[in-house]
Amino acid sequence: MKVSYPQMGYLSIPVYNMLTNLGVEVVEAPAISKKTVELGSMYSPEGVCLPYKMNMGNFLESIDKGADTFVTMCGAGKCRFGFYSAVQKIQLSKTKDVGFYTIDSNHLLTGLYHFLQSVAPEVSCLEIVKQLTMAIKTLKALDTINNAKNFYGSRSTTPDTIIDIANQSAGDFRDCRAFRDVKDKQNRVIHLIKSMSEDNNKQPPKVGLVGEFYLLLEPYVNYRVEDVLIKQGIEVKKFVNTGAWVYSNTLLSSLGLYNEEHAYQKQARPYLNHHVGGDGLKSVGSTLWCAQHGYDGIIHLYPFGCMPEIVAQYALKNIAQDFNLPLLTLSVDEHASDVGVLTRLEAFVDCIKRKKK
Amino acid sequence: MGVKVGIPEALLYHEFGSLWLDFFQNSGVPVALSGKTNKQILDRGMSLAIDESCIPLKVYLGHVESLLTTCSHIFVPRIAQYYPDNHLCAKLAGLPDIVQNTFRLANEKLLSPNIENSSAATIAKAVHTICQPLGLSDITGHQAYRQAVKQWKNTIPIQSGHPVKAKIAIIGHSYIIKDVFFNSDIEKFFKSQEVEIIISGDLPNKIVYEEAKAFQQDIYWQMSMKIAGAAQYFCGQDDIAGVIIVSSFGCGPDSLVNEYLEHHIFKPSNKPHMVLTIDEHTGNAGLITRVEAFWDMVARRLKLEGKLPADGLS
Repeated sequence: MKVSYPQMGYLSIPVYNMLTNLGVEVVEAPAISKKTVELGSMYSPEGVCLPYKMNMGNFLESIDKGADTFVTMCGAGKCRFGFYSAVQKIQLSKTKDVGFYTIDSNHLLTGLYHFLQSVAPEVSCLEIVKQLTMAIKTLKALDTINNAKNFYGSRSTTPDTIIDIANQSAGDFRDCRAFRDVKDKQNRVIHLIKSMSEDNNKQPPKVGLVGEFYLLLEPYVNYRVEDVLIKQGIEVKKFVNTGAWVYSNTLLSSLGLYNEEHAYQKQARPYLNHHVGGDGLKSVGSTLWCAQHGYDGIIHLYPFGCMPEIVAQYALKNIAQDFNLPLLTLSVDEHASDVGVLTRLEAFVDCIKRKKK
Repeated sequence: MGVKVGIPEALLYHEFGSLWLDFFQNSGVPVALSGKTNKQILDRGMSLAIDESCIPLKVYLGHVESLLTTCSHIFVPRIAQYYPDNHLCAKLAGLPDIVQNTFRLANEKLLSPNIENSSAATIAKAVHTICQPLGLSDITGHQAYRQAVKQWKNTIPIQSGHPVKAKIAIIGHSYIIKDVFFNSDIEKFFKSQEVEIIISGDLPNKIVYEEAKAFQQDIYWQMSMKIAGAAQYFCGQDDIAGVIIVSSFGCGPDSLVNEYLEHHIFKPSNKPHMVLTIDEHTGNAGLITRVEAFWDMVARRLKLEGKLPADGLS
């Protein structure tokens, strides 16, 4: 059995570690490229959203590399994400007889546990729990490094070096076997980033990056918007901390201590009062939080046609107006070109900087 | 201005309209409807809505706007789920918020009961949400509601009995296929050909859900479930010559469900079928050409099967 999963920014690193440490053979999909996009769009329904097409491209490319078992997430809700697997299975089974596992994001812990048990049946329960915990630790470390990149990079005169250090460090977490490893590597990278940056007390303009989970996470599809902004001296706060997300959705929520819906419902009032599926409520809640905490702009990033984010956009429009907060909406599909996006980002940054003066 | 509740004739009105009207009538509240969709409503909706919204939502906002000046309250229910594990799409779950964010109405002007499940508590709360701003007692509201539900369950879809050449089924979200603005061209064409059309919205719910049971483990959208059930039912009927699926551009569930139905229902059944996608730019010429071509194909097959007189097989 050769297991494969869709690429999703640095989220795929702990998944890789978890599976290989449990003795599962993994065939990773090649990094997303133009070919992935083309392949994915060719074998997907036309009107479906971008993450579906990218996942499809990943699956097809890893089939070429010999994968025969796929694992993906699904989140039953109002959003299309939960229905991905039902249709992807149809297309994939045309090419090859493949195994397909789906993990329900509403029951992340039990879903993950059952999946791991079925692909690695001889491994003890304790080992599985250990690997899960380690995956969360790794994700949190990667989140911390990413936050450090945003903080120090935007204050530095040589942001490129810091971006490079941070982005390359992600690969170092591959093949981590012990908790100690993760901690050491994290400390080393943070130390390196700190030593590269000069003391600078100036507060750069702050931009909140909100929107759909996959688009925020995968640098290929979001045109590395974070790095582009950092290079222009903007401090970015990205509202998707995978480590915290996985932690609260596995451990805390299974203990009944956390309910994502309720947490954001309070924050998004009065602009959006109800859960609308996907990350809609979260986008509105985070934007409102930014507006109240002196941010200089919001960038809203989502795949073209994303249902929850469109509902969120009705609310964002009003928040932007009420708080006099610049808002840039980027709706991405497989036809978007990086030049167009970069131009818009640059113009947006100019706007913010002028407004701040 | 006296109390008058405006009900936009769009989206879920086409599903629950008679229930809502009965409810307000039973509780003695005057109601105004926004009327049938027309070009002006669509144009207004288009300029009010976010570009990427689907056309039924754009039309809905147009309907709401047309009611604002004449009505004291607007009825915009949030229906997110009423059967367990069967959601409605994100836009319907966020409908009151969309309306509120678009028009920025005073809170009391909007009557938006929140239906998240079919429990008695939810209904009690929903009735209270409607009754309080209208100055009605909850008891009156409950009586009106109970009566309305009874009437609603007793309505039987109309079946026509006149002789026809063939029958074509039209499947889609009720707010598209029951809206005359979207489907009058298709209807007119088939009328001219003496072909009867049956729309999925006219099927009794019991049949639809029974047929859809096979897809229960996959599909979790209420509306798509009904579409799947209707597709399954029509494909099993010998007197249905073909099936047309009408969906709107940008409809999230449809973009995947149509593919799913194609694989699980249409291909195995060998029924002629076609997907028509409409958006606000749809010129009717393109639409009619496709429907004509579809009918030509279906008619040809019927002639070959001897179900239609073969006068000059083209």
